[in-house]
Amino acid sequence: MTKYNPVTPEIARTLAEICGESHVVYRDAERLEPFSHDEIPGTHYRRLPEAVVKPDSAEQVAAIVRLANERRIPVTPRGAGSGLSGGTVPVCGGIVVAMQRFNRILELDKANMTITVEPGVIANDINEYLKPHGLFYAGYPMSVEMCQIGGNVAENAGGGKAVKYGVTARYVLGLEVVLPSGSILNLGGKLLKDVTGYNLIPLLTGSEGTLGIFTKIILKVIPRPRFQYDLLALFPDSDTAVAAVPAMITGTGITPVSIEFMDGDAFRQGCLDLNETLPFLDAGAVLLVSVDGNDPEMLAGQSEALGRYLQKGGASEIYVADTRADSERVWKIRRSIPEAFSQAFPRQSGEDIVVPCASIPAVVTECGRLAAKYHLAIPCYGHAGDGNVHSRICAPADWSDEHWDEVLQALLRELYAEVARLGGRISGEHGIGCKRRPFMASTCAPEFLDTLRAVKNALDPNGIMNPGKIF
Amino acid sequence: MKIAVLLKQVPDSQAVRLDPETGTLRRSETDAVTNPLDLCALAAAVRLIKDVPDSSLTAICMGPSTGEQTLRQALALGAGRAILICDRACAGSDSYVTALILAAAIERSGPFDLVLTGLRASDGETGQVGPEIAAKLGWPVITGAESLTRIRDNLFEVTRSAESEKETLTFRTPALISVAKGIGQADLPRLERKIWARREPVTLLTANDLGFSPDEAGLKASPTRVVRVLHPQLTRRGRMVRITDSAALEQAREAFTDLLGRKEEE
Repeated sequence: MTKYNPVTPEIARTLAEICGESHVVYRDAERLEPFSHDEIPGTHYRRLPEAVVKPDSAEQVAAIVRLANERRIPVTPRGAGSGLSGGTVPVCGGIVVAMQRFNRILELDKANMTITVEPGVIANDINEYLKPHGLFYAGYPMSVEMCQIGGNVAENAGGGKAVKYGVTARYVLGLEVVLPSGSILNLGGKLLKDVTGYNLIPLLTGSEGTLGIFTKIILKVIPRPRFQYDLLALFPDSDTAVAAVPAMITGTGITPVSIEFMDGDAFRQGCLDLNETLPFLDAGAVLLVSVDGNDPEMLAGQSEALGRYLQKGGASEIYVADTRADSERVWKIRRSIPEAFSQAFPRQSGEDIVVPCASIPAVVTECGRLAAKYHLAIPCYGHAGDGNVHSRICAPADWSDEHWDEVLQALLRELYAEVARLGGRISGEHGIGCKRRPFMASTCAPEFLDTLRAVKNALDPNGIMNPGKIF
Repeated sequence: MKIAVLLKQVPDSQAVRLDPETGTLRRSETDAVTNPLDLCALAAAVRLIKDVPDSSLTAICMGPSTGEQTLRQALALGAGRAILICDRACAGSDSYVTALILAAAIERSGPFDLVLTGLRASDGETGQVGPEIAAKLGWPVITGAESLTRIRDNLFEVTRSAESEKETLTFRTPALISVAKGIGQADLPRLERKIWARREPVTLLTANDLGFSPDEAGLKASPTRVVRVLHPQLTRRGRMVRITDSAALEQAREAFTDLLGRKEEE
């Protein structure tokens, strides 16, 4: 492990000179605490930083990183802290660079269909800003109301609309990034095609803050569809639900915006949390299928066609949400599931497995086997259209922390081994961070990890940028 | 049992934007939706007819041609018949003329035992149309129903909120009931019903069909006018006083007496 130096009072003074005294937190545990964790439930993935700085220009970020690099102090970039992998936990202490003051929308270029933003802008605010212009940014993480775009790019966030619109990386056209050396690098721009040298934007997108800190982001925007229709289809079990998906897509020739999956337990928990009156007790599994567009007649026809295939595939009941209120009602169920489980189970681990779509039932089955073996609950939900399953491992309330940690590690080793056997990976959209780092060696090829390390060493030879993450 | 439900299409209040200068709705930016309380009325009607053989449920909407969307939604949610009153001559009708036209439609397409509607529409917010229809029909009216159950035959029971109390009333049909949110939301429509509703014919009625000449409908026949639309200015301010002992009680009493005195002077 690299040896790092502490943040001394002298360094804290220099940070204050760079950003202004009011934008530095040092030796104040109460004010440092909010920067010690992300949204992972529980207290396991926490560490107080030694200092927090809140710069508001690329030059300030560069000066901070240069200083940290010279003095061998770890730097951890932070957006809204809504992550679920511990990516922004300063596991080696040092300086947290909080990007909250980078909250400006800099330019909407309608002629080129781009928007230039700072990384601290809330993802939802981008779409609120674009709405009157008839445009939208298609990245849609489920935490859309609080997460910041810088974090979305750092994690290459996915979310509920990936089936049709892809994930964050598809929309990142340009980046201004402060490298671990402290130099400011501009990549891309407003170009849809660019093969001038290595394409570094996809490398930095999803690099979890280990290769640099974004200070400006240029995103592609697209025309906003005016309507969305949703189908909520109840199935007797997960196998039947997931098996209905490929036939539905190939049979109709329609690419839905979303194909969300909830097993019976997850759907029930979400419904109970919202006092929902839908017949959730009868459902062994549920698919939420959405289409969008500008022509209500076309969408009605598409819903009908998709619904027919879901019926053929074994859906016992299908509800249609074709108004904004009804659409919000069905999506609320899906979005409420993580929080509903957080309330119900104090000790839990939210997983982010991704497998080839057809293997989703195998993951659900494996989770059922492991739940029975270890005497706990593992409801599953997620994105059936892209194979990303959020298994939620929930321990009984009377377990001790020690027992829970022991069981969780053993269970995850088994689960991840099965995921690897199915051709899957341990994270589809939440990232590796520090939470899944211990499992990388057992689930990835050594050549792959060596290549990642070579890239990291080339850009960050002193290992100061978000250490203790990924590998 | 034969029930009619009156539904109105309104701008989507969640998507609505006010013009900051004129205070009017920017309609071009909004999509029309069915008045949420009218959907509650529909849901109550669907629940009522479920257990009564040979019942029927008719959805009636007055407005522009886009009202057909509201009626197809009503068909998908359980209505068996849909009537759209759509005529340029009706444009601009105030609540009184609207009530006259709807009462005529109810008489023409009935007879009905019950007419249900929302307590008020989210755009006009008057809450007048329902009672005015009942007056025109000579029926009893109960507003703001939060539950509606059939006791037997044509005897029904309603609960409604009156200030902080609950009132329970029984009534015999025919009657017009307007419902409040507490009566419950509509179910989500099922696919099969949705497919059927998409193709089911909607009956179109004009002012003339209902016996209104162009001079008897619309803006010029309306005795009331919207002169200005203002944002309500809330001037009430509450103050919480925690009473822990007799001194605090005395202080609270004095403060309240002062307040009443100031109110009287105003």
